Amino acid sequence: MTTEHNEDYDLLVVGAGPAGLGAALEAAARGLKVAVVDEQHAPGGQIFRQPPGSFKQPEGGAKLAYPFGRELLRRARADTRIAWHYGTMAWGVFRDPQQECLRLGVSKNDAGAMLNGRALLVATGAYDLPVAFPGWTLPGVMSAGGVQTLLKSQFLRPGSRFVLAGSHPLLLLVADLLLTSGAEVAEVAFARPRPAIGELLRGWRAVPGHLGLMLQAARAAWNLKRHGVPLRFGSMIKAASGADAVDGATMVDVDRDWRPLPGTERHVEADTLVIGYGLLASTELARQAGCAVDYKPDEGGWIVRRDATMRSSVDGVWVAGEPGGVGGAELAHLEGRLAALDIARTLAAPGQRPGDDELDAVQRAIRKAHRFSDVVRDFFAPNMAALARLASGDTLVCRCEEVSAAEVRDFLDRNPHVSDVNSVKLACRTGMGMCQGRYCQHTTAQMLSEATGKPVDCLGHHTARAPVKPVSVISLAQLQDTLR
Amino acid sequence: MLKTLRIQPNGGDGLRPAPVTIFVNGAPTTAYPGETVATALLAAGSARFRTTARGAPRAPVCNMGVCFECAVTVDGRPGTRSCMTLVADGMRIERS
Ligand SMILES: Cc1cc2nc3c(=O)[nH]c(=O)nc-3n(C[C@H](O)[C@H](O)[C@H](O)COP(=O)(O)OP(=O)(O)OC[C@H]3O[C@@H](n4cnc5c(N)ncnc54)[C@H](O)[C@@H]3O)c2cc1C
Ligand code: FES
Repeated sequence: MTTEHNEDYDLLVVGAGPAGLGAALEAAARGLKVAVVDEQHAPGGQIFRQPPGSFKQPEGGAKLAYPFGRELLRRARADTRIAWHYGTMAWGVFRDPQQECLRLGVSKNDAGAMLNGRALLVATGAYDLPVAFPGWTLPGVMSAGGVQTLLKSQFLRPGSRFVLAGSHPLLLLVADLLLTSGAEVAEVAFARPRPAIGELLRGWRAVPGHLGLMLQAARAAWNLKRHGVPLRFGSMIKAASGADAVDGATMVDVDRDWRPLPGTERHVEADTLVIGYGLLASTELARQAGCAVDYKPDEGGWIVRRDATMRSSVDGVWVAGEPGGVGGAELAHLEGRLAALDIARTLAAPGQRPGDDELDAVQRAIRKAHRFSDVVRDFFAPNMAALARLASGDTLVCRCEEVSAAEVRDFLDRNPHVSDVNSVKLACRTGMGMCQGRYCQHTTAQMLSEATGKPVDCLGHHTARAPVKPVSVISLAQLQDTLR
Repeated sequence: MLKTLRIQPNGGDGLRPAPVTIFVNGAPTTAYPGETVATALLAAGSARFRTTARGAPRAPVCNMGVCFECAVTVDGRPGTRSCMTLVADGMRIERS
């Protein structure tokens, strides 16, 4: 087989969700040479995840709430100008001073390659906020996104009797999908207090243009009521029970600050526990590239700092969608397009460069989309400190390296001078395992914050190093200049 | 009792293509092209995908490649995320 060496791109995009697709299509339309890398096997990202092509497509899915989704996927599938690399993981960003370009390390099964690009767009999305409570490592405890994607893209229901606990609106949609699949939903518990009428009315003002989504949520809530599923507010997960797998959940009533009210524990039987307290921005690749980040807990933890055209602090690296703040599909898509327009301003042929008016128009649309997502965000913001207090002594904080809360707290007691999460990582091994800290960093940070009395944003974040996800030695040994 | 279920959103069947056979710890198991290894294992009733150094059972959490709890050995490659890997006819999977 022949390989083309040093194949150069104008723009490399990591992530084929609404942000990455929006950017790739916009950039290709301006004549830029674009490659897209996504470790999933098809376009769509998390929200527009589709059933595999080998399945007969049934109607429905989340795309109905976002009419632009269907069109976006159709255009992406049809576009042959763009080099699509699915099933391909991006694990590192490097700079080639000689060629003045960025190099993206990617791997696909046992093959590895470096892609060269003049610009890089990181559009890696977000993942469910992990919450460490007693029993959270038992098989049968799943994230809301995990259950949702199994149902909607694989038509698999991972259990038969479900308890859903969280604070994110996604929980309602998952409960609805579960009911439709014939599952028993024992209860849906939101940690925040029941919203007051005033709050709901304030929310409605932001709705125009997002009616589909609101209707979907309202329909889900109605469906729960019709099936007699208790929808509780002011109720939080305390523990999962079970020996080799989950057999039930202990729920507890909480006050406005999510502090448990003594004596209100309830046990609910279930074989699957669905956790949805929010999302964390997926910033590992951007941080490894050197992008500056800021701590904004209600927007997804540490998020990448960007200017008005989605440029990060690193030359040649743009960031669109959720790594720059969790705000929904519409916003992510617009941000991707804006980044592509800005990139085309310098890289496209003179006749194809966008004018300021084109950027202005997208920026206006972004401000409008923000009105909605800001309201939603305030409404459902996770209380990170309260969630971190759920871990009892023998609860594992780090699932990969099996480090308990007691081990971390002990270390902090003995070393009162410790004031950054990387020191905890080095001493306790939290964050050194396969997931590279994605599942423990924020709990560790909250515990450190509690011990030192300092806010989380003063305690640093894990250093992200290449490879940002484990990559096989075989694929590194076979590293070549482009993907075959 | 088999708690996990392949659902049929259209009411009838005909959604899935013709099945293939994969081997889970040597035992032949049915799977459908387009399914991930995680889906096939869950559908086959597996509760334990991997066992930790301390002997605890683990199974998929995120289904999107982030948690690494679904790692199994696929055709001899250990540490493979089953939620990100598609089944293929004759594939050999080892849960630990
Ligand atoms: C599981 C899940 C379910 C969701 N469901 C809903 C919903 O029903 N309704 C709703 O309004 N919002 C939902 N959201 C919020 C949703 O994330 C956003 O609305 C939207 O998808 C964000 O788009 P994006 O392009 O920023 O990121 P995503 O859509 O998340 O796309 C990011 C892509 O990057 C890829 N990627 C990440 N890292 C790498 C890497 N290192 N190498 C290669 N590829 C990589 C991922 O595979 C993914 O396809 C969900 C979020 C999650 C995490
Ligand atoms: S289920 Fe989390 S990585 Fe596969």
